Amino acid sequence: MADALFYVMAIGAVLASLGVVLAKNPMQCVLCLLASFFALATIYLLCGFQFLAAAQILVYAGAILVLFLFVIMLLNLGNPGTEDPTDVRMFSRANSAIMVVVAAALLFVTALAARRAGHMPIGRAMPEEGLDPIPGLASEMFGRYLLPFEAISVLLLATAVAVLVLAKRERRPGERQPAGGDAP
Amino acid sequence: MNVPSEHLLVLAAILFAVGAAGFFLRRNVIVVLMCIEIMLNAANLSFLAASRMHALAPGATGPSLEGPTFAIFVIVVAAIEAAVGLALVIALYRNRQTVSLDALTDLKD
Repeated sequence: MADALFYVMAIGAVLASLGVVLAKNPMQCVLCLLASFFALATIYLLCGFQFLAAAQILVYAGAILVLFLFVIMLLNLGNPGTEDPTDVRMFSRANSAIMVVVAAALLFVTALAARRAGHMPIGRAMPEEGLDPIPGLASEMFGRYLLPFEAISVLLLATAVAVLVLAKRERRPGERQPAGGDAP
Repeated sequence: MNVPSEHLLVLAAILFAVGAAGFFLRRNVIVVLMCIEIMLNAANLSFLAASRMHALAPGATGPSLEGPTFAIFVIVVAAIEAAVGLALVIALYRNRQTVSLDALTDLKD
């Protein structure tokens, strides 16, 4: 049962990702991306990574997709009339040939690696608490990986500042300062 | 679930290939950012597959936690990348009224 669900979700994730690449309208791309994230979260859950599945839903579906939707709606790109005309020649003959060659090479390397590595047998039953117990994760993150943790928190702060600077509307030199309420 | 971990790795490879294809083929900046998210997801999946492979191997004593830890770091980096990328998209749209990558050839000309 769980095995069948895994394969269904794997096929669903691949199809949804293909939808992101192939859909014409950015809004359809976002919805396909949402489906792909949920399929991957189900796969994480089936593999025993319960915390990661929750984080995937919360951060990706809850935060990142909302950002994408916000920008698409703010720039009014969801209308059928505003499709990007440059994507029309996405599948020119040269592009298609390159992609087929790259995909074949990637699958060949993957198959080769899987053959060379041999089959790794599953020797233990899945532990009851899953494969990412939160106490273990916390002691890793605040023990061995404390420096990366601090670095990434600084990175988040820098990002918040950078996003504000980038998205702020800059004023032309000649433009007068906004008067605080005494408009003519 | 008794699926071998190699199948997880193959799924990660396919997802990465799809994301890379979109990254190279699409010209809409927002869709290109979404394709980067797909590729980061594939990287996460391979981290978790490796962690599962080690945790469930015969003779393993406990969960292998490097994979999930780095997957969390990757999720944070993906969120940061989306925020900065979309802020850049807004700045681009304000200056050029387009989100097509073909409009950005200033360094080539």
